[in-house]
Amino acid sequence: MNCYMFPGQPLSRSRGIPQDHDGEQIAELCRRHALFDPESWEWLTPDGTDNVALQLHGVAMSLHGARTLKKGGVTPGIVAEHSMGIYPAAALCGSLAEESVLEITSRGGRAMAAMGSSRHYSLGCVVGLTVEPVTALAENHGVYLANVNTDRHFLLAGELDPMNGAMAEALAVGAFSANSFSCDAPLHTPLMGELEGELRAIFSDYRYRDPQVPLMNHVDQCCLCGSDLADFMYRELLLPVQWERTYRALRSAGVDHFFEVGQGDSLKKYNRWLESRWEGS
Amino acid sequence: MSESLIEPVKQLIIDALRIEGMTTADIDSDAPLFGEGLGLDSIDALQLVVAMEKEYGVVVPDAATGTTVFQSVRSMAAHIAEHRK
Repeated sequence: MNCYMFPGQPLSRSRGIPQDHDGEQIAELCRRHALFDPESWEWLTPDGTDNVALQLHGVAMSLHGARTLKKGGVTPGIVAEHSMGIYPAAALCGSLAEESVLEITSRGGRAMAAMGSSRHYSLGCVVGLTVEPVTALAENHGVYLANVNTDRHFLLAGELDPMNGAMAEALAVGAFSANSFSCDAPLHTPLMGELEGELRAIFSDYRYRDPQVPLMNHVDQCCLCGSDLADFMYRELLLPVQWERTYRALRSAGVDHFFEVGQGDSLKKYNRWLESRWEGS
Repeated sequence: MSESLIEPVKQLIIDALRIEGMTTADIDSDAPLFGEGLGLDSIDALQLVVAMEKEYGVVVPDAATGTTVFQSVRSMAAHIAEHRK
């Protein structure tokens, strides 16, 4: 069975949206509905940020990738998502139109970016430690475990200064690498609760149809129906991404071919790591 | 000594990272493994650490050592030649 995997926000723009018919269509939808031009990389609204631009770029690349795969005859038996990958995943499943997905990404992203106007937030990528020391150092510094990607790959989120301390401690206790990146908002942490009213209002503005392809969520590995989606889109921002559990659940469901739909290949690499751990155990 | 490890190290990279459609001839021994070269990242690096330990019993103890070791295929081969058991 084939699985389309939709990744979350890329940390950088490694390449532009393809200059083909689908790329031009998606870029136009982005301009009209998200107020961002992914070709010129310019905002058409004053409250856009670099991070929201990256979020929109990631979603646009995923929409393009999904169109390309479908045209190539690759039919998904199930769909999985990581973090903001829920938005293009919802489009692929037929729950939302592509333009709605771009609009939600833009509106939600700009609402979340407002958090960063009063405080500086950061993401911390820790590679090589197990979950116990990562959890401990997060607690020591008052930051949060935001992604459990494998048994050795984690993402923390929180305020900038505590994150710098957490990264230093991670290296001191033997992490293979520990790097931080600035972000607008501490996604996948309880801190996002301060935007509950605003975010729920955005997500409830849309009508969600039931997915035409099973859509597995990264929080509890259940498949979502249309009536779950608005609530899930808010709740997932408060809870850690559980990619390792999701991958295991997908394999148990019978997936034997994975297609990463979007920029980069992080999810494929996490899967490769998990496979190699099983083979070696 | 480390020169004889160049080809096996290239094969180790291809196998550990499951790179499809690439042969050892496609990898420049002195090209950077990260960024502009093979384009590897920290996820790949940890995979290579585990593969090196499994294949040669060689440990990369910390991030600073890893930065040196993973500069190129040649630096990986030199580290293995120096530390293999």
